[in-house]
Amino acid sequence: MALRYEQSSCRLELKGLPDVSAQPQSPSNSELLLSILTSWELNLGQRASLQGKREHLEALVETVLPYVRLMLSGAAHKQTSKTAVVVVAPRGRGHQLQLISSQPNTPPLDLQLDDAELADLTQCLDQMLLDPRQGLNFKQPLLKPQKHQAAAPAMVHSWAAPSAAIAAVALCALVAMLLPIPKPLLPASPQPIERQKP
Amino acid sequence: MERLDLLLLAIEALDLHGSEAMLWSCEQLDLQQPFPDRVALWKTRCRNPLRRASRRGEWSIEEQEGLIRLVCSLSQRLYPMLRQLLSSSEPDELTNQRWALFQERYNDLISERMNLKRGAVRLLLDQKTGAQRRREVVQTLALCAGGAGMQRLGACLMDGY
Repeated sequence: MALRYEQSSCRLELKGLPDVSAQPQSPSNSELLLSILTSWELNLGQRASLQGKREHLEALVETVLPYVRLMLSGAAHKQTSKTAVVVVAPRGRGHQLQLISSQPNTPPLDLQLDDAELADLTQCLDQMLLDPRQGLNFKQPLLKPQKHQAAAPAMVHSWAAPSAAIAAVALCALVAMLLPIPKPLLPASPQPIERQKP
Repeated sequence: MERLDLLLLAIEALDLHGSEAMLWSCEQLDLQQPFPDRVALWKTRCRNPLRRASRRGEWSIEEQEGLIRLVCSLSQRLYPMLRQLLSSSEPDELTNQRWALFQERYNDLISERMNLKRGAVRLLLDQKTGAQRRREVVQTLALCAGGAGMQRLGACLMDGY
């Protein structure tokens, strides 16, 4: 069983088997999902052809998609997979995709992708994740809104002045509370005036 | 709000029949509840405060999700064109011509519809900053095209909240 996802500069092909034991028996094979990945191949035009195990494809998904997500927010920065086999980072006007081979004595593959190639790769990965024919249950990266890094300094800047003012008022109030309350002076009792005898 | 409207404006700049394609896509995507006709879509887009004739009020969740779906669907349709603009393997001369054509149409639409007294609009039309902004818009359209594009675009529009 093979599934293929193609874009202009990128082709992703998954090969595997359906997990018959985990799926309900069906008379037609068309309802079987590709659940056991035996191999995959990513062809990036004439530049590189990558192959690997399920862990490597998972690493690619967990690195490229969050990078693209951050890029849309204008805060793209280096993303490394948990197993550190895939690294994506901005480089020049494009993007560096570094793949570290699990084979000994194999240097890491360093690719420079332009925006179009990155978009193609993203489309292939999206198509794969949304394909109802695959049952690989890849963990999809979270796409929650987040405060992007560019916005953070501006937020700090805008809150700094009011926060400092409130802190100053609170400090003054605290100091004022620590001061002892002056005791009211008792009125002095009238002293009898002694008259001097002539 | 501004960003979504600018993305739709870029789609109109890329596709001469962009406004018709939006209406057709609304029907295809079953978005006739929030945008039953051309006027409703136009009124929703006029909530962009950068517009020359801006309308007060916020978008409803239905309207916002509808516009996100519309942008992603139209981006998918225009993906080959977006790819050509972003690709470095195309001949430089051809790429420059394509960008010049896009710049002309995009800037015309901005001048026609946006409030030119606003600083953000002036930055879009600026010689230095405009090119970078246009590239960002095209990048966004290319990266949010496709099935998962809606989630990505939706999440990035909520950034900073």
